[in-house]
Amino acid sequence: MHRIWAVATNTIKQALRMKIAVVFLIMLFVLLPALGISTTGDETLKGRLQTFVSYSLSLMSFLLCLLTIIVSVYSVTSDIDQRQIYTVITKPIRRFQFLMGKLLGVVVLDVILLSVFSAVIYAVTIYTPRFVKASEQELVEANNEFLTARAALTVPQVDVTAEVRARYEELRKLDQLPPDYTQEQVITELTKQAQLAKRAAGVGEVLSWEFDNVRPLAKSMFIRFKYDVFPNPPDSQVYGRWFAGDYQYIKYGQQPKTPIFDEVYKHAARTFNEVQFPAEVVPENGRLAIAFMNVPPNDTTVVFPPDGLEVLYKADSFAANFIRSVLLILFRLIFLACLGILASTFLSFPVAVLFCLVLFLTASFSGFVIESFDYLSQNIGMIYSYSLKWAIRLLPQFDQFNPTKFIVPARLLSWSVVVKCALFMVCIKAFLVFVLGLLIFSCKEIARITV
Amino acid sequence: MQYAVETFSLTKIFSDWWGRAKVYAVDNLDLQVRPNEVFGLLGPNGSGKTTTLKMLLGLLHPTKGKALLLGGDGADPKINSRIGFLPEESYLYRYLSARETLDFYGRLFGLPAKVRKMRIEALLDMVGLKAVANRAVGTFSKGMARRIGLAQALINDPDLLILDEPTTGLDPIGTRQIKDLILRLAERGKTILLSSHLLADVEDVCDRIAILYGGRIQTQGRVKELLQQTNKRQITTDAISDSTVEKIRQLVAAEDGECVVTSPMDKLESFFIRTVAAAQQQAQSTSGAVSTTKIGDFLTRKEPMESILDKLVSAPVSQPEPEPAPTTEKVAAASGSESRPDESLLSKLTHSRPEPAARGQEAQTEPVKPSAAEHGQIKKNILDQLTGRSDAQDKDKKETGKSQAGDSGDA
Repeated sequence: MHRIWAVATNTIKQALRMKIAVVFLIMLFVLLPALGISTTGDETLKGRLQTFVSYSLSLMSFLLCLLTIIVSVYSVTSDIDQRQIYTVITKPIRRFQFLMGKLLGVVVLDVILLSVFSAVIYAVTIYTPRFVKASEQELVEANNEFLTARAALTVPQVDVTAEVRARYEELRKLDQLPPDYTQEQVITELTKQAQLAKRAAGVGEVLSWEFDNVRPLAKSMFIRFKYDVFPNPPDSQVYGRWFAGDYQYIKYGQQPKTPIFDEVYKHAARTFNEVQFPAEVVPENGRLAIAFMNVPPNDTTVVFPPDGLEVLYKADSFAANFIRSVLLILFRLIFLACLGILASTFLSFPVAVLFCLVLFLTASFSGFVIESFDYLSQNIGMIYSYSLKWAIRLLPQFDQFNPTKFIVPARLLSWSVVVKCALFMVCIKAFLVFVLGLLIFSCKEIARITV
Repeated sequence: MQYAVETFSLTKIFSDWWGRAKVYAVDNLDLQVRPNEVFGLLGPNGSGKTTTLKMLLGLLHPTKGKALLLGGDGADPKINSRIGFLPEESYLYRYLSARETLDFYGRLFGLPAKVRKMRIEALLDMVGLKAVANRAVGTFSKGMARRIGLAQALINDPDLLILDEPTTGLDPIGTRQIKDLILRLAERGKTILLSSHLLADVEDVCDRIAILYGGRIQTQGRVKELLQQTNKRQITTDAISDSTVEKIRQLVAAEDGECVVTSPMDKLESFFIRTVAAAQQQAQSTSGAVSTTKIGDFLTRKEPMESILDKLVSAPVSQPEPEPAPTTEKVAAASGSESRPDESLLSKLTHSRPEPAARGQEAQTEPVKPSAAEHGQIKKNILDQLTGRSDAQDKDKKETGKSQAGDSGDA
């Protein structure tokens, strides 16, 4: 352990004194405050904070990823190229200890830099509201919808199979099946229609949803939703009467023990909106119902798109959420450090950096890449989807564990997600990559061939 | 006996991309280095010296055969902890200072902080870099880097020291110091395996040598035996009178021998060292390395082993107690700047050490006086233990004696 630590501290010194890290440090120290001042978002306090945090987290993550790749690759390849490794590896240190020392050094450096810059970002975020002239309403909005960590309750797809089956039989009996369609196509079409019907409300109609095990931590809860409207009203505004409370009351009209929320709002269509309601409406058994009523002066049908409605409630603090999202970045850096070390065991510095960058970018867009393979898979894409697609699946999905995805909409980043990320990205993928690097390095002839 | 280094038909073939054999860098090498021996691996450039050393240390994998260091594998940490290695160039971390460099290597050996600190100071002192200990190694000249390289090879107090061309890039004083150091380390029971193509260096320090060419051993054996001209005798005397010389001529003639009488030439090396030493005494400042003759006290002594006994046997008559002192003075004069503490340290060393052949021979040359140096080569001998190697040191000695007497102009 002493020996691993000796190599690690040497790696850190190298990164700092060879001014690799310093360049990145300066960039971050200049860019982060500049971002803090220049971002305005949509001119509201919440928008400003969202823009700042999203830009600064992405920037920090991107720069630290680059730094990690460069430092991990450089510290191994320069030792081999400049042959310091001759004197190091002939000391009583095993080769795996040498690489572990390098990895540890890079990770420790990452942890230090990540803590420093996350602290800066966090501080700027927390203190911005004090220095920006914002109305009381904006402050409340920022606190409720950004400086928090909210869990979301989503509406599952309604099962309409039986209904569709019945409708199909009915059509068949009436001999009204469209002539050119196969049975499958008809059923798909019917299913779509049925599901749309479940999400649609004509004027005067009510849609309701139920949620179990609701345990809010704060006084307020939120309904987050998006309206689609047919036909479109001239001003794209939709009126809606929202209810929230005991499902017994909303569904069966029984006298509730808890208060019932009931308000009418006007919101823009085709964009996400939020309605705030007090948490005290949630009954003791945790079974909450939400209902929407399409009220006049609307004269259109309102449809909620799939994923178009969720109930949000505060489940944790912003700080805790922020720390967890920084952990996600750390896991990403650990993976890249392992990748850099693997690459540098068999490639020279420029090639190894290029190799890592390509894999890093692929991993950053892996979701997109995999999806695009799915579209290809009909014809020639078969070859790709059975070879490359699996290769890409082996990479970690950086976009799936992107912290801004959670932080910007103030969505709860639960420990389970963090643990899942640690398990897949660090314990399995990074570990395998590192072990492969160890194997290559153990078999490698360290000395260059000179005759 | 367990050899310090032993190879069994060690072979290294460098093949091209298709796997076809291209170069036999080392070819069926069987090498045995005995404990407590200074062994020189000689050869022209590209003869496989460095490749051999790299294979010993596990930096290259042998194509065939195997190598044992101290009875074990050269890549085994347990063995590594008893080995010091100086590669053909000093590959150091440019951004570390001299002190940090040694600290880093000390930590690789797992030395406790206290021991590390003590050894680092002793080593910096020894290689004469204490004044620049906090400067980044990247700013060092080649010779200074070499000294740090040597210091890092010694930080673990190794039993076996592997030096790849230890004197490249060093000035003559540095070369001289390294050679003295190698001899003193050998006295302390270390085994030293060095490679070089600088023949003078090898001749001065090595007990045994092997000459490599094309990856094969062309010849190997004791330096003395390889170089001694057994059909000749050499006598070195003080400046004796011409009549005495004439008598000796007659004696030689009586045995049907021929005899040449000359004054020995000084070696350029010792002349150079004297000149610089004189400048140092005038305290001219330098930004380079300072010469010292200290040796780290932590570099432990081992019980004299077989080869030391060999030396004792081959040594001439046992020397009188006070005689090592001039040796000390000689080295001190060469180094100049801080002679007092060195002298006491060295005399301590010299008093307590077993007496190897080389020292004995030096001591014998001591009586030569500066004024009338005359050097005879006759068949009938009184100094029959003299070897070719003592010849060079011989002359040094005399010249040093002269310079101390203050009339070096005579030479």
